[in-house]
Amino acid sequence: MNRRSFLSWGTAGFATLCAGVAVSMGAVVRFLVPDVFYEPPQVFKIGDPADFPFGPPTFLADEKIYVFRDRDKGFSVASAVCTHLGCTVNYFQSDQKFHCPCHGSVFARDGIVIHGPAPRSLNWFEVTQARDGQLQVDKDKVVPDNYRLMV
Amino acid sequence: MNLIREIWQSIVRRDPLSTDKGKSELVFLNVWLHIHPAKVKKESLRFKFTFYLGFITFFLFLILVTTGIALMFYYRPYPPQAYQDMKDLQFVVFMGPFLRAMHRWSAHAMVVCVFLHMCRVFYTGSYKKPRQFNWVVGVLLLLLTLGLSFTGYLLPWDQLAYWAITVGTNIGSYAPIIGGQVREILLGGHTVGEAALIRFYVLHVAILPSLMILLTIVHFWRIRKDGGLSRPLWKLKPNAPEALVTIGAPAQSAPLRTVQAAPDKTYGLMEVVTGKPIFETITPDEEEDAVFSYPYAFFREAIALMVTVTGIMAISLFFHAPLEELANPAKTPNPAKAPWYFLGLQELVSHSALLGGVVAPALMVLALLAIPYFDRNPSRRPSDRKWALWLFTIFVVANLVLIVIGTFFRGPGWALVPPWVHVVARAE
Repeated sequence: MNRRSFLSWGTAGFATLCAGVAVSMGAVVRFLVPDVFYEPPQVFKIGDPADFPFGPPTFLADEKIYVFRDRDKGFSVASAVCTHLGCTVNYFQSDQKFHCPCHGSVFARDGIVIHGPAPRSLNWFEVTQARDGQLQVDKDKVVPDNYRLMV
Repeated sequence: MNLIREIWQSIVRRDPLSTDKGKSELVFLNVWLHIHPAKVKKESLRFKFTFYLGFITFFLFLILVTTGIALMFYYRPYPPQAYQDMKDLQFVVFMGPFLRAMHRWSAHAMVVCVFLHMCRVFYTGSYKKPRQFNWVVGVLLLLLTLGLSFTGYLLPWDQLAYWAITVGTNIGSYAPIIGGQVREILLGGHTVGEAALIRFYVLHVAILPSLMILLTIVHFWRIRKDGGLSRPLWKLKPNAPEALVTIGAPAQSAPLRTVQAAPDKTYGLMEVVTGKPIFETITPDEEEDAVFSYPYAFFREAIALMVTVTGIMAISLFFHAPLEELANPAKTPNPAKAPWYFLGLQELVSHSALLGGVVAPALMVLALLAIPYFDRNPSRRPSDRKWALWLFTIFVVANLVLIVIGTFFRGPGWALVPPWVHVVARAE
């Protein structure tokens, strides 16, 4: 084996080794990304429209949503997850605002930030009526804050 | 009797400790002790120079490993059981509350001691050439300490754990481009749940401690190789002027030349080479100021170990580790606070998540890592380093002020409150 072929084989071998290491590292990172999430579904039913009162919103703890029912306009569903760092916001009927306990963000009734470090408004989720008449929320579908479902 | 003596001799294989040879052999024939030099310089042992903070930090780590392994016998990293096991540790496991308290208080103490150790190293200029890289290793060890604290924080699976980790990992997700993915990989999902608990557990009991041990070994090794424990070099007598010697090997095509003789002695010679060593060297004069590691260094280390262990035990007897209600994703406690050493960060985050939670800490860590390379001033004498000392003091005070604000001056809704409301609330 002469010097030239030693160098070219050596370079090719070293490049292959580097590629192998890179692929392995990629595989390790990929391994850490789960293919199945054992988490609550993003689309779920929350009950009959008649279960929800007019006036103050209903808080569903497991789903972390507020269900509003307006007499004239209908249903809307707000996320209870603060857009700052994910704490659960509390709605106070007294001032009709959402207050985040972690860092003091305050959101208006329509979800718009009026105080504190939150970078954007609360999410509003699409709510539809399923075939069996129950309300169905899809957390993957974020809708404008004027979205309403009339039943 | 002869047999017993023979067995003992086969184990220790050294001369009696009454002889200098025996004292040296005790150190370098023993795999655990030979991280020490046979002799140490007297100034290195002065408590007032180092406060033994490095030793104390290491001993706290040993306590954490020991108590942590003990706790693993009674802990299952799965959501409802995890909290159940904490309750068991609190009420039905023999010495359970004591072990858990020792683990918790050692962890807090270790964060304090690592930080104080870093301050000591800065104020004595001990990060300067040739010790620059060991400072970098030290900063990585500080980050690992915080990482271990953070991952351990989730394991009790109570309200405190759940919300501190929810807030903490959401801060990370503000990092540009990769933030969201990193959070998803760390949690193994989109919210803090069972996948997150097992991941934090593996990080806490396997991956981060292993990295910690590896880096600690490097850290200690570098101390030896860089010239031993730090000491106030600027207070030492100046070296005598260097003599000239002729070196070279004409037969091996190394021409003869005249160089300054290093008045240094190095041990464990493998090969005779030319050139000055990279590490701090001792002169023959200083050699006279050195004492045997046994008993002078070992005795002091043993005292530091005993004071650390008994101190932690005493605190753990009187103060139990806190445990709140079972984690409830629907109900955020008000106020929801991170562990105290992250409250400075949380205070910054309450103003801006991106600037305070990502940019500011990233710059802080980068600045710490860059210190030994950025500081070109070769002097370690405090009077030559006024600017550096002032800047670092501002950094320390700013961190402390933020932590104090976050801890004592923030109440429900993260509103500013006077600090005594916490005392009143506790009394109620």
